Order: sequence, then structure tokens, then C-alpha cells
Amino acid sequence: MTTMVSVKDVTKVYKRGAEELKVLDALNLEVPEGEFVALMGPSGSGKTTLLNLIAGIDRPTSGAVVVGGKDIAVLSEGDLAKWRSRSVGFIFQFYNLIPVLSALENVELPLLLTSLGKKERRERALTALKVVGLADRSSHYPRQLSGGQEQRVAIARAVVTDPQVLVADEPTGDLDAKSAEEILNLMESLNRDFKKTIVMVTHDPRAAERAHVQRHLEKGVLLLGEEKHR
Amino acid sequence: MKYLPFVLKHLRRNWVRTTSTVVAMAVCIFLLCTLRSVLSEVDSMLAASKATRLVTRHSVSLTFNLPVAYESRIQSVPGVKGVAKTIWFGGSLPAKKEGQADETGSEGEATTDWSKFFNNMGVDADNFFPMYPELTIPPDQWQSFRETRQGALIGSKLAKKFGWKLGDRFFLESFIPPYRRSSGPFEFVVSGFYDADLAKYPGTDVSTMYFHYDYVKEGVGREIGVGTYAVEIANGDQAATVGKSIDALFENSSATSITETEQAFKASFIAMAGNLALLLNGIGLAVAFTILLVTANTMSMAVRERRTEIGVLKTLGFSSAHVMGFVVGEALLLGVLGGALGVFGSQTLLYFVSHAPGVAEILAGIGLSGLELKPAVATLGFFIAVVLGLFAGLVPALAAYRAKITDILRTV
Repeated sequence: MTTMVSVKDVTKVYKRGAEELKVLDALNLEVPEGEFVALMGPSGSGKTTLLNLIAGIDRPTSGAVVVGGKDIAVLSEGDLAKWRSRSVGFIFQFYNLIPVLSALENVELPLLLTSLGKKERRERALTALKVVGLADRSSHYPRQLSGGQEQRVAIARAVVTDPQVLVADEPTGDLDAKSAEEILNLMESLNRDFKKTIVMVTHDPRAAERAHVQRHLEKGVLLLGEEKHR
Repeated sequence: MKYLPFVLKHLRRNWVRTTSTVVAMAVCIFLLCTLRSVLSEVDSMLAASKATRLVTRHSVSLTFNLPVAYESRIQSVPGVKGVAKTIWFGGSLPAKKEGQADETGSEGEATTDWSKFFNNMGVDADNFFPMYPELTIPPDQWQSFRETRQGALIGSKLAKKFGWKLGDRFFLESFIPPYRRSSGPFEFVVSGFYDADLAKYPGTDVSTMYFHYDYVKEGVGREIGVGTYAVEIANGDQAATVGKSIDALFENSSATSITETEQAFKASFIAMAGNLALLLNGIGLAVAFTILLVTANTMSMAVRERRTEIGVLKTLGFSSAHVMGFVVGEALLLGVLGGALGVFGSQTLLYFVSHAPGVAEILAGIGLSGLELKPAVATLGFFIAVVLGLFAGLVPALAAYRAKITDILRTV
């Protein structure tokens, strides 16, 4: 199986004044194409930092992050932004939809960076909303949607550009049990039916159980012998 | 252009704040355009003055006249080429029956229609008009005017306004008591029209009516004095010296004089235009600076409120330049809307003022007959609004440009 995400000897150090805080320490991780990986661990273990590095929204202090065969750690800011728009879909814990845009417009937003015409953008956004089962809510604004619906719109926004990798930071962290179940079903479906590689950070053991593989982090290192396969 | 709806949606997010910012910007541009238009008109009027023309008036006030005997004494001052008596008549058309005298003849009962007020001056024509070569009069009309005691020379703009033709007769009643007569208003006959090449002599007044000084003097049956003496000198460089020499002649008399250049006289006549310019420009600058701060504050608040969204946009793949462009675009749109509204408001007010019965005539009476929003002033106002918007958006846009995704999302 081809490797989709390869994190090689990555160290991430944050500087707070004179103090240095090592969040990731020579970490290595391989995620095969089409895999659904859950990253678990206590707060401050470096899960979100690792996720940010894979999503190309942060850079490692040392080491390499290769996604889809491209070392994204060496890309310029502009190239990295372009890469993000094409290759990765990000799902946030608090959905982070733009409140002044309708569901359809929120999903259409990443497509503004493509060369597609308005009509084609609308069609693709509507298709993505159909995939998450919210085509009938396309004209609704975020304030008119429930938390679960908002997260589904956010997932539609993440997949609308057909990225290789989906990264999710606590996607069920702000949802009730029923909505969380729906979101996890949707993510499973995206992985199974659309062959999306998913890396998900979660504290929730029930969410982690839906992943194929669970990896545990503690103090910036992946724990050996903690890899769980479903 | 595909990003425009996105920017517009953000502007509508807090419509109260957006509207108040646009209105504040509009008020700023309205004030700037209106004040600039007034100044521009004043400048234009002053520019029409000639360096070799002086004006001698009573040192106390323009409401006091100088003795007629001063004419020959001024003429004797070295450097003086010509002297002409003038009075500002302050006449307007009687309201009761245009074209006919107020038959009551009584001051108490005579009514004046101030909406038909315009600038009219009695002059010593043979001495006065040679000093103003920029005024063009057809020779036959000039001759007719000189030979007609009741003759009136009408500026082209004024003639157009009242539709006067050669030979038309009308009556004027002055609101200044010494120029009123018991037998009723003065009757005038249109003897000629004067015009000026405004491209060559911009700001030249073509809204005044001139008539013979002696006609009023004879009409009231007594000496009426001289409002101002128009003095032509041989050399413009000697204006100060000649002016001092004239004033020195009357230093110890009961009617001391002030002699100044025509430009200085006009400036003092319209409420010390030098200080007026400083005041109006100062007000304009202060207002513009205040609006810059208001708009910058609005944009900063808008960007601060949207920190998370900025992080999300960057996560989705929008570059820092894109995000900066959105913020600058919003600020520019505020400027464009405010500028357009301000220019429109100023245009509306100036149109109203220059066309409102009564107001327009009073403005014409002090030489501001061409008050309008000129394209250059409108363009300047709009440009300032856009620049204000740009500058107001620049600092928050730079903050949005520099913001790191991880820093923003960590603080959510």
C-alpha cells in the first residue's frame, strides 16, 4: 500500500521568550493511502501540533513531512497555501463556518481558489452537500443549523475540492452523542466509499474505535506498542 | 471580481456599523467638497483681480462713503493713471409689479423682492470701464449706454437669468437709505451687455449690472459720496507705495481712507478670505483625520472579530495576500460608498444654494455667482475618500496578513 503521509524525525519546538518547549521529539509516523488513523493522548501531548504539521498549517523545527509524495516542510508560504487548497481538507472541532455565508456559500468557498466558473462551483458545492445529506439546507445560514448539521457542512467544505487527505481535530468534541455518531458514520463513509485518507485527533475512545488504527502520543512521542488495529 | 460578493457579505454583517462608518465618511467628503468649492470660487474671484488696480475706501467701514472731492486729489498722486467713482447700490427688483414702478412711492409701503436681488453698481463709466479691458462691450451698445442717463450695462449671465433684451425697462429699489428717493424706485433701460473671455480671464464677474453714478446722485437730489474709488496705477510693483501716498493725503481728515489692491479688497470684502482659506482647509483636514481614525477603528474591530475566520480562510488555502486583499477591499468599499454619498450630498447642497431664490442672488452680490461642485473638486473628494479607506484598512490588513494560523486557532 502506498504511503500517503510520512512524518520523518520531526521535532517541533515552540519558543516562549527565552523558554523553549519541545512539543514533538523526533517523531516518525507513516499513514498508508486510504487509512483512517486516530491520534490519541492527553492534553499537551502534541496531537494537534502533529495534525497541523500534516495539514501544512505549521512547520516542523526539524525533520520532514511528506504528504502525497511532496515534502511540504520546504514549500514557501504561498506554495503551501496552494497545496492546502488542493490536497488537504481540514475539519475543526467548532466547525468554523463563516457566519455571513449560507451553507452552500461556505462549501463553495475553497472552490473560489480554483479556475472553475460560478455555475460549476455551485454544482460541485451542492454535490458535496448531497454527500453529507444537507442539500435541502443549502440556503440556510450557520445560525439556522444545529451543531451536527454545521459539522456536516464543514465536512462538505473539507471534501469539496476532492483532497487526498482529510485531517480532523476533535470533530465530535462539541457534539451530542447522536450527532457525534452521525459525523463518525459520515467520516467512515468518506474513508470507505471515497477512499479518503483520514487523520483524526480525538479524546473520545468511541470515536477512536471507528478508526482503523489508533496511535497514542505522550510528551511528543508516539508510544511504542500502542498501535491498535480494528 | 469573484471575491466581491464575499467582501460585500462581510460589509453587511454589521450593517449598523457599516452604515454609520459610510455616513461618517460621507459627511467628511461632503464637508471637504463643499468647503473646497467655496474656496475655489473665492480663489477664482481673487485671481480675476489685476495688480494695477487699487481700491480706496473709508477706513472705518464700507458702509461709510468718502467725499467726492477725493477724486481729483487721488488723481494727482504720482503713479496714478485713472480714478473712477463707484457705489454699491444694493438695488433689487420691486416685488409688486416687475417692469413697473411701485406707484405708492412711499418707503414704508414699498416692498422688495429679495429673491430678485443681484449685484448692481453705479460707476463713473468713462473712467471705470477703461480700467477693465477684460470686459467686452459691443461698441454700439457702449455708445448707447454712455448716451442714456438711465442706461444699464448688464453682465451676460445676469441678462440670461432675467431674459433681458436691449431696450427692456425695469425698476430697482435700493435697501440703502441714502440711495432711495421719495418718488419711488429708479427706472433703468437695458442699453448694452458686457461679457468676458472666461477661459482667458477665469473668475471674471459677468453677473453685475452697471449704471451711471450721476443718475443716482441726480435722482436723490444731493451728494451721495463715493463708496469706493477704483484706482488704476501705472506699475503694479508700486501698489503699496501709491496706496500709502493716497491714504497719506487724507490722514488728518474726517474721512480717512484705506487703499489696497483689488485682490486684497475683495478678500477683505468676503470675510477675510485669507483666514477663511486657512480655517476651511483646517476644518477639512481635521475632519478627514478624524474619519481616518474612525474608519481605521471600524476596520480594526471588524478584523479582530474575525480572527478565527481569517485563520479558517488561510487553512482552506487562501494566501495571506488574499486575506489582506479582502480587508483592504472592504475598507476601499467603505471609502467608495462614503465618497460617492459625500460628493452627491455636496453637489445637491451647492445646486440648491446656487439655485434657491434669494440665496443665489445674495451669493452673486458678494461675487460668488459661480458656486458649484466642479469636477476637479468632486474627483478630489472621491479620491480622498478612497485613500482614507485604503489607509484605514492598511493596518488591520497587515495584521491579517501577518497572522499565523496556529496562533489564531490556538486562541479560539
